[in-house]
Amino acid sequence: MPSPFVFLKRFNVIVMKEPKLALFGKTKAMETLIDDFLDKVSEGGLRFEQGIAAYIDQSTPERLAERAEQLRVTEGEGHRLRRSIETQLYTEMLIPDFRGDVLSLLEDLNYVLGKLEDIFLAITVEQPIIDEPYRADFKLLASSVVKAIEAAILGSRAFFRNITAVRDHLAKVYFHEDECDQVAITLKRAIFSSALSLDQKMHLRYFVDRIDGLADEAEEVGDWLAIYSIKRSL
Amino acid sequence: MDIAILIFLSSGLFLGWSLGANDAANVFGTAVGSRMIRFTTAALICSVFIILGAVFSGAGAAHGLGELGTLNALPGAFMAAFSAALTVYWMTLARLPVSTTHAVVGAIIGWNWFSGSVTDLSALSTIMSTWIASPILAGVFGALLYKLTVWVLNRAKLHLLRLDSYTRIGLILAGAFGSYTLGANNIGNVMGVFVNSSPFTDFTVAGVTITSVEQLFLVGAIAIGVGVFTYSKGVMMMVGDGLMPLSPVAAWVVVIAQSIVLFLFSSITLEHFLASQSLPTIPLIPVSSSQAVVGAVVGIGLLHGGKGIRWKALGSIASGWVTTPIISALICFVMLFVLQNVFNQTVYYEVRYQLSAPVLAHLEQEGVPAAELSPLRDREIVGGLRFRNRLREVAHLPPEQEDKVIAAAEIHSLLIDASKFPKLDKAYLSLEQVRALEQLQGRAFEHRWQLYDALASLTPAWRKLENTKINKPFNKLLGQQLDYIFSYFEVSQVAPE
Repeated sequence: MPSPFVFLKRFNVIVMKEPKLALFGKTKAMETLIDDFLDKVSEGGLRFEQGIAAYIDQSTPERLAERAEQLRVTEGEGHRLRRSIETQLYTEMLIPDFRGDVLSLLEDLNYVLGKLEDIFLAITVEQPIIDEPYRADFKLLASSVVKAIEAAILGSRAFFRNITAVRDHLAKVYFHEDECDQVAITLKRAIFSSALSLDQKMHLRYFVDRIDGLADEAEEVGDWLAIYSIKRSL
Repeated sequence: MDIAILIFLSSGLFLGWSLGANDAANVFGTAVGSRMIRFTTAALICSVFIILGAVFSGAGAAHGLGELGTLNALPGAFMAAFSAALTVYWMTLARLPVSTTHAVVGAIIGWNWFSGSVTDLSALSTIMSTWIASPILAGVFGALLYKLTVWVLNRAKLHLLRLDSYTRIGLILAGAFGSYTLGANNIGNVMGVFVNSSPFTDFTVAGVTITSVEQLFLVGAIAIGVGVFTYSKGVMMMVGDGLMPLSPVAAWVVVIAQSIVLFLFSSITLEHFLASQSLPTIPLIPVSSSQAVVGAVVGIGLLHGGKGIRWKALGSIASGWVTTPIISALICFVMLFVLQNVFNQTVYYEVRYQLSAPVLAHLEQEGVPAAELSPLRDREIVGGLRFRNRLREVAHLPPEQEDKVIAAAEIHSLLIDASKFPKLDKAYLSLEQVRALEQLQGRAFEHRWQLYDALASLTPAWRKLENTKINKPFNKLLGQQLDYIFSYFEVSQVAPE
């Protein structure tokens, strides 16, 4: 049940701060915000994967629009959470030694979430024709990209809670990124050796590169995470 | 209210202000330097707890008189406090954490020099050993505690924000406790010397009596608090960031390592507890929080290979430690000269020495070869330094015997005056002790040891126990009570011609 403050605020009855429990209550609330943000990025990845599968399996335009809208909402919520975290970290003067690192990490992940939405929206707008021979690889590429992002998210969670586990997750990020590169190359070779028209080849290559680029972004997050972890390992 | 008293009191307030501006860094420097606690928050907590510590736990200092209590004329004490305050202020301007006690001891040495009094060499060796022992001990403890903390934290798997929250609370608690101790321990230096000439009077509010001493200590503590608010940020940033950038956890470790070192190596209570449990005791070593906090920071820095330490800043701090007592002594000497010759103030009272027959008999009992001292028999000598020089001309005594002779020969006019009994702080003494004093009403003594002997013969409550570790706290309190009685019943002093 929502708190009476949420109800009153929704109807503009009062404009005031929600009461916060001192000390640990504030910390707990902040931990929840960060977890919620990471959940949103993870959710965005899963929705992206579902959306690509739906597009390849030729779902109805309404269904695809619904997927795009879901991803847009997820991205919007993630963006709002990031802003909220950023503001509170500064106003409450929390984690002074890691504030910059945490904000960069969250911004990088938010960028990935934004890219997921952009690419899926571009696919629904531009509607590239993906023929049967390439469908499985496209799905595999999207799935590997999401796995790389998921591993980066798990690494980020570990950065907050269990620093020794970050390394294990980063190894998975690098593995899936490498896998994405291999799938992308295989896919591009197949596309360019086919009888498709050049414009179609270029169009498909463009989306292969953009989707593969998401894994590169996950790798970038992993690289920074490795540096933040060294600093955090006291 | 005597205007002169207020003027003299101002130097105590200046010393309090300087102390707050410099020593607050010992308790909150790392917290503020590591940006875990805002300066204003730290200053507020620090000031409040300093005031609480000074008013509620500074009572012991009301009779101990602090370091400056050894100075026998108020204008002299004023100038010594002023010199120490000026020195600490200069060090604060240079953002150097220094020991206020060292500045005070330096000023007393300046006063001794000017007045021809004997300087206890152990005070100098104490200062010098503090420069070395405090940072080394705190450095070792800091490094070990840091290792242990990191080990525990790596296993505890705390959320980064939770760790941040715990560290912040740890820093606040340690800082508050440290501030309380700072207030309790230092108010004696700041205000102790003015206790007997307090311009305040006792008053009662809602059934609670606030004594003149408590009011005096409150004013002194407020001066310290103002010092913290107005001028301590520079030294705090030097300790918490200028010497080496510190992580919040390291900041907490520094404060705790410093407290542990001070507790383990300077606590008579702990020594008494261990000795009473037949456990091995930790040797008591002179340690100072200003030196310890710097040592703990450097210890953690060395654990990381020493790369983060700014050696130039460390060099400046160390030179500040060495120059503080020297500068303070020089300023005090020069200013006493000005005060005496330009403002015509009595900055010290002459102290006379005489090896009379009772003194020689007393010394014989104490194991001093009194026969060797016969050339000085019954000769009254003015000034401690002069007496010691004469003594050295006639006899070659080991230092501890020489100190005994000087102390025994020192003449004090003591009169157990019945009219003084109503104002005697009976809460500070036991009933048995007061009764013994009452039995001596009307009697006069020429030497302090004579009054002590008379009291000790009346009751064991005035008798010092054998010098063992278990008896140390009792003997220390008795010593403070005797000092209070000696200064309370002293009747007249002679100004220099």
